[in-house]
Formats: sequence, C-alpha cells, structure tokens
Amino acid sequence: MSDATAAPPPARGEALLATVTPRQLAWRRFKRHRLALVSAVVLGVLYLLALFCELVAPYSPQTRNVAAINAPPMGIRFFHTDGFHLRPFVYGYDMRVNPDTWMREYTPNVGKRYPLRFFASGDEHTLWNLLPSTRHLFVAEGGYIHLFGTDQLGRDVFSRILYGARVSLSIGVAGVVLTFVLGILFGGVAGYLGGITDRAVQWFIAVLLALPTLPLWMALSAALPVSWSPLAVYFGVTVILSLLGWPYLARQVRGRFLALRQEDFVIAGRLLGAGRMRVILRHMLPNFMSHTITAATLAVPFMILGETALSFLGIGLRPPVVSWGVLMQQAQNWQVIVMTPWLLLPGLFVIIAVTAFNLLGDGLRDAADPYNTGGLE
Amino acid sequence: MNEGAPAGAELLEVRGLSKFFGDVAAVERVSLDLARAETLGVVGESGSGKTTLARCILRAIDPDAGSVRFNSANGWTSLHSLKEKELVPLRREMQMIFQDPFSSLNPRMTVQQILEEPLLIHGERKRGKRVAAVREMLSRVQLGADALTRYPHAFSGGQRQRIGIARALMLRPSLVVCDESVSALDVSVQAQIINLLEDLQAELGLTYLFVAHDLAVVRHICDRVLVMHRGRVVETGTVEDVFERPRQDYTRLLLSAIPSPDPDVPLKPLDRATLNL
Repeated sequence: MSDATAAPPPARGEALLATVTPRQLAWRRFKRHRLALVSAVVLGVLYLLALFCELVAPYSPQTRNVAAINAPPMGIRFFHTDGFHLRPFVYGYDMRVNPDTWMREYTPNVGKRYPLRFFASGDEHTLWNLLPSTRHLFVAEGGYIHLFGTDQLGRDVFSRILYGARVSLSIGVAGVVLTFVLGILFGGVAGYLGGITDRAVQWFIAVLLALPTLPLWMALSAALPVSWSPLAVYFGVTVILSLLGWPYLARQVRGRFLALRQEDFVIAGRLLGAGRMRVILRHMLPNFMSHTITAATLAVPFMILGETALSFLGIGLRPPVVSWGVLMQQAQNWQVIVMTPWLLLPGLFVIIAVTAFNLLGDGLRDAADPYNTGGLE
Repeated sequence: MNEGAPAGAELLEVRGLSKFFGDVAAVERVSLDLARAETLGVVGESGSGKTTLARCILRAIDPDAGSVRFNSANGWTSLHSLKEKELVPLRREMQMIFQDPFSSLNPRMTVQQILEEPLLIHGERKRGKRVAAVREMLSRVQLGADALTRYPHAFSGGQRQRIGIARALMLRPSLVVCDESVSALDVSVQAQIINLLEDLQAELGLTYLFVAHDLAVVRHICDRVLVMHRGRVVETGTVEDVFERPRQDYTRLLLSAIPSPDPDVPLKPLDRATLNL
C-alpha cells in the first residue's frame, strides 16, 4: 500500500479504479453475470412484445377462425416443393373429423401455401387505445397463421399470449411498485424510529406473515364484486397481491436501516451536525436503494405467479380479460394435456418470465454488493 | 478558532460518566479533564469501554449518568443535557476521526462532497468558498486536488484516513476525538498518519482525546494517559509517570504486553493471576 505524500504514479489497476463511479463499478460487476445479462435481454424483449402486442399479434385476442378449431401450431417454412423461398410461408390445414373418436385431425396441405407479409393489413386494432390501425408485424396472405395453434373456439394462442403478457407482466410491476411504497414506508419508519414503533410494525408483520397466503388471497379475491369492470378487478388484484407482499420488503428495509444507522459514515454525518432528513436522504437512502431495487426485482415473480394462480383458479381476472393465468384456465383438464398440449404454452411463458426475473435479481444483488469487487481490485 | 484562549485552559470536563448496555456497565463513573492543545490517551484492552467513553463525550450515543462540560467559544456548556438540535452549533468545535477508514466514508459521495458537507450543514452557501476551503484542507492532509472528483473506493487505507481527518477538521474544531484512528492501518502508514496528526495539532492548536490500544503509539503521541479496565478508570497520569512508574497492577500487566522492537528479546508470558483481577 503506497501512501507517499507526493502522489505516486498510480498502478495500472488503480488508474482504472480511480475515475469510475460506484455505479459504473456495479455495472461492470453486473456485466460479468452472463445469465443475468441474458435474462435482462429476455425480459426486455417480453416487455417490448407486451407493450406493442397489438402490432406484433397477427389477430385480436377474440378473433375466431372456425376453419381451425383446436388446431396445432404451424411451422414457418422456407422450402416449398419447388425449392427455397426467401419469403417465409406457412401451409394451411386440411381438417378431418376422425369417425371413431370424433376428434378434429389437422394435416398441413402443401397446396395451401400462405406467404408472410410484413407490416401488412389485418385485423383492426387500436394501439394503446389511441392509434387506430390495421397494420400487423406479419400476416399470412390469403390464409391464416397460428404459430402456437388455436384453442377450442379457434382463437390464435400466439396472439392471446401476447395480449396476456401485457396484463400479467404489468401486474407484476404495478404490484411491486405498490409493495415498494408500503415496504419502504413501514420498514423505514420501524428501522429509523426503533423502540415502540419498531416493535408494533414487527408484530404486525409477524401476524401478516403467519396468515396462510393462498386462502387469504382467495378470500380477498372472491370478495371483489363480480359487477366490477375488468380494469377495476385488475387494480383490485394488484392491491391484494401488494397488501400481502410488502412485509418481506419492509423487513429488508428495516434491516438495512438498522445496519446503516450503525455505520461509521452515518455516525460521522450526525456528528457533523446533519439533521435527520439529511442523514436519511444523503447517507442512508443512496446506500440501500440498490439492495431494495434488487429485492423488488426478486419480488416481481411472486406477483406474476400470484396473478396467474388466482386467475387460474377463476377468482382473479376473468374472461374476456386475457392474462396468462386466464389462458391457463383452459388447460385445467387432462384432455387438454393429451390432445391440445399447445394450450399449456402460456405456462411456459410464465416460467420464462419468472426465471428471468429471478436470475436478473441474482445478478443485481451481486452487482449491488460493494464487497464483491468482481476481480477488479 | 481558539485564539485568545490561554494555553493550558480547560477545554473539557467529564464527571461521573456512566453508560449501561442492559445490565453491563460499559463505562462506569469516569471523570477526566482535558486542557487545550494537550493530548490525552485513553488505553485499555478490547471491551474496556474506551470507544463508548469517546462516543458518549461527543454524544454519538447518550450517556446514562454523569456530566460532560465543554468550554466552547461561548463559555462552558453542558453537552450531556442538550437536545440533538441544540448540539448542532457545538458540533463545529468537536469532531471525531474514526477507526475504520473504509466504513467511515460514504461510498456514494465524492471526496469533494464529503469534505464540503460539514460546511453546507453549517450554512456556507457560497460554492466558491467551499471549494477553496476543501482544497486548502486537502493540501493540509497532503492529498492532491485530483482526489476531489474521486470516490472513496479509489483510495488506499492511509489515503482514506487522510480524507477522514480532513473531514473532521473542515469546521476547525478545537476538540478532536481520535477513536483508534491508526489501529486499522499498516505500520508504515500508521507512522505517517501519526506525524500528520502531530503536525496538524501544532498548526491548528488542536486538542486530542486519543483512544487506542497500541501503547507504543500512545506513549509517542500523548501528554497524559488514562488507563481503563472494565469501564472504570484504573490509573491516570502523565505519560512518563504511567509508563515508567505504574502504580496499579493492571497497568503493569498492560505495559508488560508491549512487544519489544528488538526481535531477540523473548516474549514473556502474561501473569494470569493479575489478568483476572
């Protein structure tokens, strides 16, 4: 450790560290976490898809194709009987009712070749309830395209998953924002004031956490009036999820507050004469925000799973609202699993989103840890 | 800050100070006096209550009993009975230098922000004046102006401790409590920091309350020593008296634990009987 007074020429590593901010250091640590980086990209794509679902989805979630009921997923192809085509296409289906089982059986018909047109005209939609348009990212010219198959009413599963993503992914974030506010408020008050207030909040949290979650969710959701509009139900479900989710965050915030209050630099701030607000805003908040954001990221999957579980059980969101949980209601019996397994695809998306959030949270946690130098020192 | 005050005038008077954690007395009926521009060492083993005593005096924690009186620019004030808000003006005159140079600086603030914060808190609104004061202090603690825009993690332990010293001195206090301020540093860096503290004392007329467990350091830097054991004062006196003619068994035991700089002198085992006194 060189500590000469005439500023020694810095070593290579030191020169690198000297000019970066803690935020840049955290970013470097995060970048080393490959899985988290991939998860961030996956989530980015999912949220973009959800944001622009009207454009990306070839159909509206309620459009029925009576020619393809319970049809299996279609593959996008480039090779026709006459060789390679640059423009991708799909084959339409021939349907036959099996006289023994009365099941519809679909076989791709090489004669029905539907080339894909990009940014072409299709179903009418209103982007974000603002911009009426008929443009879609892709449509099958002269026919239909069902990348993930159709359900028993002939609705396009791919389109419905995209519309469902909007609801399911946004409810996770909305719920966490509300959780965040409640958690920081209660945790911060308990951690900073301590004493009686702390004990009261701790006791309240202990009681809340002791309640069995699923029955309570179910009871509260069942209490939402059936007459409510889908939007009101959406907010109702969000509030229910957050009301039961904040204790975990509040505990973490309280813990960070208690730990930070004992840190030398916080005591130093107090000894300099800094008031309570300055100590909290300048010294404490910046030093635990990264942890709290990590905790929030790790809380999003619980919200998504919660919404999915409630809707799956039929007491959360209800049709005609489309969410991943609502979509999975269709997959509640064994016939679906055997005969139309593509109706389980929304579940795959839930798994992808939840896993990505968890991995991202792991990466953020490591990045936020100032003691993890990531091999930079 | 303390021009006009005659050297040797009393600065701090502590009487019967006690602090309990549960049933345990961390500090029990401690009294001490501190004159301007002198250095009082507080020594003792781990857990003897040195740090608690230091923090009670500065009101980082509230003492349970006893009085702390401080001779500020406006005359004598009782620190132990003031409310947090009433203490703020007095904070200008008494500051602390911490033990751990890594946890004592806010990792989210640049050196400039760390050093100008005390000025901001005490109402210096002119940015130019703050910057000038920060630069001046930085050169006093022998750091370059290129340190200003950097964050604490970019510095070595010794450099950080210089920043901590600079922060403590920004308000030109008369009393500086050094809480084990050199014990976390490498030996070579320790020497530099001790020399710096001595130089600053001479330049600025500082009064140090020097809490340490390293007796060699205390002997070097202090004028008087206070020996603590289990929260109580065991012995107090000038450095020569305590180190050359210790009156208490515990002090003798403590002194026998100083390793000799000569590697050929064998270490003597500690006297267990006195250890459990």
